[in-house]
Amino acid sequence: MTEKKKRVLFGALGIFIFLCIWYAATTLTSLGKVMPDPVTVLAGFFTAFVEPIGTHSMIMHILVSLRRMLIPYFFGGVLGVLVGILMGWYKLADAILMPYIQMIRPIPPIAWIPLSIVWFGFDEGSKYFLIFLACFFTIALTTYNGVHSVDETLVRAARMLGAKDNQLFTSIVLPTTVPYIFSGLQVALGSAWATIVAAEMIRSSEGVGWLIISGQEVGNMTQIMVGIMAIALTGLLITSIMRGVESKLCAWTVRGK
Amino acid sequence: MKGKKKFQINKYFFISILSICLGIFVWWLVTDGLGIFRSNALPSPVKVFESFIKKWYETKPDGATLLEHLIASLQVALGGYVIGAIIGIPLGIFMAWNDKVDMCVRPVFDLVRTIPGVAWTSVMVTLVGIGFLSKALVIFISAMVAMVINSYSGIKQTKTVHLWVGQTFGASNWELLTKIAIPSALPMIFTGLDVALGSAWTTLVAAELLASTKGLGFMIQQARGIFRLDIVIVGMIVIAITGAVLSSIIQWLGRKMIKGGRT
Amino acid sequence: MANKEPKVRVQNLTKKFGDLLVLDNLNFEVEEGEFLCIVGPTGCGKTTFLNSLTRLYEPTAGDILVNGIPVDPKKQNISYIFQEYSSFPWLTVEQNIRFGLEIKKTPKAEADANVEEMLDIVGLTKFRNYYPSQLSISMLQRVAIARAFATKPELLLMDEPYGQLDIDLRFKLEDELIKLWKKTGTTVLFITHNIEEAVYLSQKIMVLTNKPTSVKTVLDNPLPLPRDVVSEEFVALRNKVTDLIKWW
Repeated sequence: MTEKKKRVLFGALGIFIFLCIWYAATTLTSLGKVMPDPVTVLAGFFTAFVEPIGTHSMIMHILVSLRRMLIPYFFGGVLGVLVGILMGWYKLADAILMPYIQMIRPIPPIAWIPLSIVWFGFDEGSKYFLIFLACFFTIALTTYNGVHSVDETLVRAARMLGAKDNQLFTSIVLPTTVPYIFSGLQVALGSAWATIVAAEMIRSSEGVGWLIISGQEVGNMTQIMVGIMAIALTGLLITSIMRGVESKLCAWTVRGK
Repeated sequence: MKGKKKFQINKYFFISILSICLGIFVWWLVTDGLGIFRSNALPSPVKVFESFIKKWYETKPDGATLLEHLIASLQVALGGYVIGAIIGIPLGIFMAWNDKVDMCVRPVFDLVRTIPGVAWTSVMVTLVGIGFLSKALVIFISAMVAMVINSYSGIKQTKTVHLWVGQTFGASNWELLTKIAIPSALPMIFTGLDVALGSAWTTLVAAELLASTKGLGFMIQQARGIFRLDIVIVGMIVIAITGAVLSSIIQWLGRKMIKGGRT
Repeated sequence: MANKEPKVRVQNLTKKFGDLLVLDNLNFEVEEGEFLCIVGPTGCGKTTFLNSLTRLYEPTAGDILVNGIPVDPKKQNISYIFQEYSSFPWLTVEQNIRFGLEIKKTPKAEADANVEEMLDIVGLTKFRNYYPSQLSISMLQRVAIARAFATKPELLLMDEPYGQLDIDLRFKLEDELIKLWKKTGTTVLFITHNIEEAVYLSQKIMVLTNKPTSVKTVLDNPLPLPRDVVSEEFVALRNKVTDLIKWW
């Protein structure tokens, strides 16, 4: 049996065993009084695609959460890369901006929630602000590290051959920095996803985070688990896409799984 | 040459300091100075500083001093973190070492790891109610996930040639694991400890915003409700500093324990 | 003279990776205490060959007998010096050298003595508490050599250990190697792509063919030690081996 087939088989087996344990725990022990079994959860999840929970169907909840996350993620990413490159390349920009980044980055994005609610209210603005923060600083810093990791000897060799600044940039600095940028993008994605779920749990009327908190408010564990399932699957989807894009663009470096 | 380099560092260092001072000045200007922002939208740096000092002994308006909140937060965070490490590190090692276990558990794990720790708050609160246990469980999950991922990576990255050295000397499977793979993975395990700490700390804040009666997250949530943004900012600063201090402790520990200059 | 069982007997050794046939039915024997150099065209599977010998790669078919029984690193005293730098970065020089002795549960007194002896022979006594990250490249290879010899192996495998070093160092380490070999009576299998090195060190030279690899021929190297690289006989033998590799 080929390696790949083996992997798929064992993987499916793993998931199956997990579901069996879950099912057994909820039907055979007292856990079943508070936790629904996997069949109920799966049924609830798929039903939600046709029957809305609250005001939206499952697909809408997922899309809303994704929209709230991806728009500021994009802007945070673009700006983060630009600022990171600026700081990495120009020592002056580094000296001026770095202290702010070092001071603001340790503040978890979630800690900004109260402030963002006061400044932007309960609607989309505060969520965009939050996610932007979550992404910008991480991506700026990793991009900066990437620019800094450029091999001095390569730059000097290129300059000796007569390369101008913008040529240096596109042929040496950019390729070296790309893996770092992607590393930052992946970390920021995880952080953004966690932040949007938290933000929705604190205040919103739709979205995957709302599914969970509204379930909690009425003690509907099935709805909570359905929400968690939605989060897990969506999260898996975006990380897979992320990895796929990265492996296409960074074909020459091997990064760990 | 050396003298010139020292001067260069001083020049940029000076610029950084200037930049910060300028920033604080602008902050003061738009609040107290020109009154562009009122204190319920953006408090002045002076007010924030005052509140910071006062909150160390002042229990108003939320019922506990800054120190009490800090200790409450640390207790939960570190509690869940330590258990997460005790379970997560061996689990990650075991998963990476044993191919069959790896192929079975990996897909389940990959699904679970995308769930942010904060999402589990609702599950835990519904199961065990608001309090220490639900927060600790949530933190335990998020810390454990980070530990497993990094320990797993560390073991997987063991150099084949190192294992071969052991094999040709006739080492047993257990010896290969304990004498080669684990020492080799130690830097990544410490990275895991650092990342897990950050994860635990962030999840703690989220859990305290949602379901708590004390702690730093609770403190800033309460303060927002009564528009005491100065306390909110004080809380944010303390959260940031504590996180940074904890992280540097782990990194210091790593430098002490990782032999061979591999940090 | 009684017909002694050869130290190493390889019969019908075949190794495939999927459909790719790398080693094709190799047969040869090595006597105890012999120094055998293995040469062949680049990429002909020399490393695969050595790895299959020690079961790091499982052979697809064939038998590998050491001391008359199937090869088993747990029962037999084998050391392998790899092409890549293989010292453990988390252990000091001394701890690295001691590693094999600890795995083999050598009694402390004997282990201590061996470690001291090795540190002395490779000239690293002063650096015993240094970590590999603090050492130069030549020192790193010496650590690997000391570690391999510390267990007083009965069978020693070396895969182009001096390939990356400059000439002066290489000559010095080759002489050290011959000294150690004479002292310990180890059976040595030494892979190299450097024919001069092969003629300098070996008692027998095994020439491998291109993939799928098999044994082309085994030459005797009767030149007396120490060898003179510019002597007529040396050059003649060197040319002979070069021709054997080239015209296949």
